[in-house]
Amino acid sequence: MPRQALQAFTRGTVRGVKKETSDTFTLLFDLADCRSPADFMPGQFNMLYVFGVGEVPISVASFGRDSHLMHTIRSVGRVTRLLAAVTTGSSVGIRGPFGRGWPLAEAEGKQLLVIAGGLGLPPLRPVIEAAIAEPGRFDGVKVMYGARTPADLIYSYEYPRWHAAGGCDLLLTVDRGTSDWKGNVGVVTTLFPKAGIDPGRAVALICGPELMLKFSILELAKIGVPAERIFVSLERNMSCATGTCGHCQLGPLFICRDGPVFGYPRLRGFFPREGV
Amino acid sequence: MGVTRFSTLGIETGFFPSTRFENAMHFTASKGSVSRLIRNLQDLGYTVVGPSLFEGVVRLRELRGPADLATGVTDVQAPGSYALGRESPLVFSSVNGPDSPKGYLHPAEVELSKLVANGGGIELVSGFHTDRKYAFFAIRPCDLRAVEVMDRTMLAPGFEDRVYSAFRKGAIFVVVNCTRAGENCFCASLGTGPAAESGYDIAITELPDRMLFDVPDGNTPLLQGIELKPATEVELRTAEELVQRAREQMGRTIAEQDPSRRMYAAMDSPTWEKVAERCLACGNCTMVCPTCFCNTIVDRTDLRDGSVSRVRVWDSCLSKDFVYSAGGNPRLGRMSRYRQFVMHKFAYWPDEFGTYGCVGCGRCISWCPVGIDITETVNGALRDQRGGEKKMEAHPVA
Repeated sequence: MPRQALQAFTRGTVRGVKKETSDTFTLLFDLADCRSPADFMPGQFNMLYVFGVGEVPISVASFGRDSHLMHTIRSVGRVTRLLAAVTTGSSVGIRGPFGRGWPLAEAEGKQLLVIAGGLGLPPLRPVIEAAIAEPGRFDGVKVMYGARTPADLIYSYEYPRWHAAGGCDLLLTVDRGTSDWKGNVGVVTTLFPKAGIDPGRAVALICGPELMLKFSILELAKIGVPAERIFVSLERNMSCATGTCGHCQLGPLFICRDGPVFGYPRLRGFFPREGV
Repeated sequence: MGVTRFSTLGIETGFFPSTRFENAMHFTASKGSVSRLIRNLQDLGYTVVGPSLFEGVVRLRELRGPADLATGVTDVQAPGSYALGRESPLVFSSVNGPDSPKGYLHPAEVELSKLVANGGGIELVSGFHTDRKYAFFAIRPCDLRAVEVMDRTMLAPGFEDRVYSAFRKGAIFVVVNCTRAGENCFCASLGTGPAAESGYDIAITELPDRMLFDVPDGNTPLLQGIELKPATEVELRTAEELVQRAREQMGRTIAEQDPSRRMYAAMDSPTWEKVAERCLACGNCTMVCPTCFCNTIVDRTDLRDGSVSRVRVWDSCLSKDFVYSAGGNPRLGRMSRYRQFVMHKFAYWPDEFGTYGCVGCGRCISWCPVGIDITETVNGALRDQRGGEKKMEAHPVA
């Protein structure tokens, strides 16, 4: 990666804004403004900067599709609340991409389990796009995605396209259903028995809240998926993204530099563990 | 000189030679020669930073000239206590105050860039730049090792920090070997002192009536105009004995030789809770620590022209919101924050950077308002383990 990409902002002009849920929205940028698709790996993140306010680490939800760079953001803090107010034509500063992404090469020819909870889906979205773009690259793709309520499911406008793509099964669940919800109710692990997981050839990529990660790992282990084929993407408050500010440290790891995607064996002993 | 119990060497940073100076040359000169040395450094364009008495504390400050050097003063330190003591006939009579080279190489506050909004975009007005060259004068061996530790964090290949790198490249080091240990010092048990082994431009050992200069090759300009005599066997032996005395004086120790592995297992020790009951989470320990590097970037808007300074300031893992993010606060309790500070130094650092994060300078003990002693914590946690490392029980390969 060129040195200045780590430190300098490029100008990202907003080309579109999509409301996903009551508190979550998607910003589309012209990818050419920032980088070329070759600069990205699925699972990486950018730092988005609001002038005079600050930066937030946001995973890259899509790069290259329709020539867009896509970020899906939940409005929850000082910077993200301001990002929620940006309109088409305005611009934000972008630094990145940072971090190590999903090990897609390792999953080639194997059954791919994409397991997401809540806002854990955006960093996995490029994986789904990669699977659709190259049918047959993986031996079956199972997308298991859970949200709090049906109204909290993001990217619902994409599900028909994902479904239509050969070999990509989409299983949804919600913690609390509504009268018109016909699908599964329960945490994301309740989808596991329905997904036809083949522990002997499954590679699991997981992103979501820490509790969801913990129980997904435990459940996969119970089924017999070995730790070496379980990968998780972790979240801490990356502040510099270059391994020098210390905010994102988890035990001996910098999430920004060594992750955010980790093979589970690397985390054993200090994740998940309280107060680390 | 010096016994290295666990070496901090291993990764080549490009600055420090990876072996000690085998061809060092030893000279002696009068005690007054250090004045000339300070002036020489100034003449060579260095900003000389050394021990200087300021508001009743020996601080590491810019020396305008030899007169600013704190000489003849001693310090008396204890857990949670720092005071000046009686006068001393020695030139280098005090040990570590609260400052270390960190404050200059990785400043507590530095402007990284200045930005303006321009046509909906952001324009860079100025980035960080410095021509300043620091000569660190009369720092102690532990602080020299601390710089080496910081090199690994701030100059990691591919992630070099531009501020640290700029200051570090211009810096030179005149180190003074310790002939007296501070009350809170424990460098001997970490192998980081009391004598410097490498990385210095000149090492001085103060003998009863002369200064012994340990000069690696090629540093003669620094000693220009100083009347040097080759050191005698007796003088070299005296220096060894004085350093050995300091080593033996040290009342504190990290009891285990290489504790990093066992520290992971000690994470559930009741010691952490016990110590955290006293901890105020004030962050003093991280501020005075010569290796603590954590920082955060803040945006400061100038109301006159609307420009924004992106300023980097020190931060502390002891502060409550240090790891706060949208997903929650994983280290909300004070125990977890204090444990992070200590675990980082003694367990995580070796895995991250191939060196311990502690050099045994004792500052965090002296400047802790309630006198928490990190050596007691580490030794206590290793002693009172609650059974092994907690793992994810259900995982067959865990």
